[in-house]
Amino acid sequence: MKQSRKTALLLASPWILTFLIFWAIPLVHSLIIGFTDYQLLKGSEWIGLANYKELLSDQSFLDSLSNTFIFVLGTIPVTTIISLGLALLVNRNFKGRALFRSAYFLPSITSMVVIALIFANLYERGGYVATLAAMIGFTPPEHGFLFDSSTALYSIMAMDVWMSVGYYMLIFLAGLKAIPDELYEAAEIAGASRIRQFFSITLPLLQPVALFILVINSIKSFQVFIEIFVMTSGKFETSTIVYFIYETGLRTDFRLGYASAAAYLLFLIIGGFSLIQFALMRRKQPLW
Amino acid sequence: MVGSSSLLSKLTRYTVLSLILGVMIFPMLWMFRVSLMPAGSISGIASLSNLTITFVNFADLFATGNMLRPLINSVLIGVVVTLGNIFFCFMVAYSLARFRTRLNKILIASVLLVVMIPAHVIIIPLYILCVEAGIYDTYWALILPWLVNPIGIFLVKQYIESVPPSLEEAARIDGASELSIIFRIVMPVCKPALAVLAIQVFFTNWNSFLFPYILTLSDSLRTLPVALALFQGHQAVDWQHLMAGSSLAVLPVLALFLFLQRHIVSGITAGAIKQ
Repeated sequence: MKQSRKTALLLASPWILTFLIFWAIPLVHSLIIGFTDYQLLKGSEWIGLANYKELLSDQSFLDSLSNTFIFVLGTIPVTTIISLGLALLVNRNFKGRALFRSAYFLPSITSMVVIALIFANLYERGGYVATLAAMIGFTPPEHGFLFDSSTALYSIMAMDVWMSVGYYMLIFLAGLKAIPDELYEAAEIAGASRIRQFFSITLPLLQPVALFILVINSIKSFQVFIEIFVMTSGKFETSTIVYFIYETGLRTDFRLGYASAAAYLLFLIIGGFSLIQFALMRRKQPLW
Repeated sequence: MVGSSSLLSKLTRYTVLSLILGVMIFPMLWMFRVSLMPAGSISGIASLSNLTITFVNFADLFATGNMLRPLINSVLIGVVVTLGNIFFCFMVAYSLARFRTRLNKILIASVLLVVMIPAHVIIIPLYILCVEAGIYDTYWALILPWLVNPIGIFLVKQYIESVPPSLEEAARIDGASELSIIFRIVMPVCKPALAVLAIQVFFTNWNSFLFPYILTLSDSLRTLPVALALFQGHQAVDWQHLMAGSSLAVLPVLALFLFLQRHIVSGITAGAIKQ
């Protein structure tokens, strides 16, 4: 018995070490330095909630916060609906189905840096998108889509939707597969139309999958960073919370305490969002 | 059903599917196209009619060494981290699946916690930790924190739970030692799950940007995504070389994807759907 406990502990030790050293301790550490004015090479002093108070009146933080919310609330519904549409489109049996699925999924496994670079090129002044926009009668921004405050963030959001629909399509497909065929057969016999079947069978039974997608997509989207770093460096009203953390903590003035406080606020926001979504998941009666 | 109407619906479906297909793969084709253009070409829509193809951009990248070192770093770190995950995730998963100690519940909770925690929240403390531990700007900072992936633990644990314990019992009767049972008998059986894990870990690592960027400083330690993101020149962007470098980052992933599609897809949906 003792022997087997030792073996269990030995086998689990890589995770115990990783968890303690790289997760638990840093998480506690950053909570603590969030209450100090810690700066690299300067030591620190306890300042209580001063960082948090400063954050809430720091215009650049508030801008980052609102940009992040625009990003999250703008992309998630669109991504979810399009990916569901794609899943329905490629769910049925037809020739070449695997090819279409793979192609739609391809952007999801491509490096975010590479995609951001490609789109930075496509969004350029006189670039591909600008030419297309001009063809259908829009006047593209003079310096390119990423160098204009009225289009930069939305251009990045559009790219993000394009990139992630294939991934969520796959998850929706797995959800569609789990719906028993008998339900549709029974509905067919009862004379229900395709549309009726969709609203009475498919949509309610996909609810757990849809909520799962909402949870993982919002955890991911609240942390949007790479696109911003590569495409605009946070300029033209595109800075997000993680970009703010990076800039104040690791780039300009190395205010690590202040940046940690911002990171904890982000943690709380994401945690709150996830809790709400979990509560919805636990509900017995359907949402729609 | 009338033949012509079903033909029409077929035609509509394939048209819609193909249009979407075009939108999804165009940017990548565009990347390859620009990477094969002579340096200094205009990369607007007009360049579609420019049919010159040259591989000189790729040759330049290797000649100047701008991308060679990052490419080697990415491969090296990717391989080490992937091997580490195969080995360590299996060990931890086995412990969680087969031993019923009191510690297990706590460990499972800790794994779940890390899955849920947004990783970006720890960039500052992880940076401080690496600086203070003296591993900032070394390969260790790019490897050590990522050797055991919590989602990987779950993936393998689920698989081990589906393997009947009688497998180990038979070996035990034959007098095999506990560790040799675990690594020589159970581990080979878990190959399918470990393959999915390996692919996922390698892809994530290959594409990872933020942590490799903030935890290193020297040019000699940059990975491919980091080198690409920092490549942009001070004046006009050198799109041809940049897209050639990007192609280098995409091609291995693309090749792996074509060969291993099924594993990739099952890895993604494994965590998503639970009965």
